[in-house]
Amino acid sequence: MTEAIKEPLDLVRLSLNEQIKVKLRGDRELIGVLHAYDSHMNLILGNVDEFVTVVDVDSTTLESTTRFVKRSMPMLYIRGDGVILISPN
Amino acid sequence: MSSVVQSDTKGSPSAFLKAIVGKSVVVKLNSGLLYTGILQCLDGYMNLVITDVRESSGIAGSPITSTYGEAFIRGNNVLYISAAEAL
Repeated sequence: MTEAIKEPLDLVRLSLNEQIKVKLRGDRELIGVLHAYDSHMNLILGNVDEFVTVVDVDSTTLESTTRFVKRSMPMLYIRGDGVILISPN
Repeated sequence: MSSVVQSDTKGSPSAFLKAIVGKSVVVKLNSGLLYTGILQCLDGYMNLVITDVRESSGIAGSPITSTYGEAFIRGNNVLYISAAEAL
C-alpha cells in the first residue's frame, strides 16, 4: 500500500476487496470486506461483524459497565451519513 | 491588519489547509473525539486521510483509545483541524 494517495477517497479505493474497519455513529464498529463505495461513503460490506458498545448502568449502585455486543451478517449496505472513520484493518 | 499576516500560509483558510498537508495535526470531531496524526491529504468536503493515528476521547489527559496506521475521516464529522507543529 505504498501507492500515492492524492485525495482521501484514494484510500477507500485502495481498500476495495480488502478487510476494513468502519466506525459509525451510535458507538458501532463494523469489520468487513469492502465490495463497493461511492462519494457519500455509502458502503457495501461482505462478511461483516458488527460490534455495538453498550453501557449498562446499575440502577441502585449507579455503577456503569461497558460491553460489546457482536452480530454477524453476510452482506450489508451502509448509508454514508453514518460513517465517521474508515481504516484498512 | 497586514502585520498579523506572517506568511502566505496564514492568508486564508484554504492556504492554511494546503500548508498543513504532510504535517502533524490534531483533529477534533463534532462528537468530541480527538485524533492526532500526519495529515496525508484532504478534499473540498474536508474528508481527511491521516496516518499514525491516535484516538482519544478529547477530555484533557484522557488515554489513547485506539490507534490506526491509516484512516479516512468523513468530512462532515470534523469540528476543527489544528497544526501540531510549526508551519
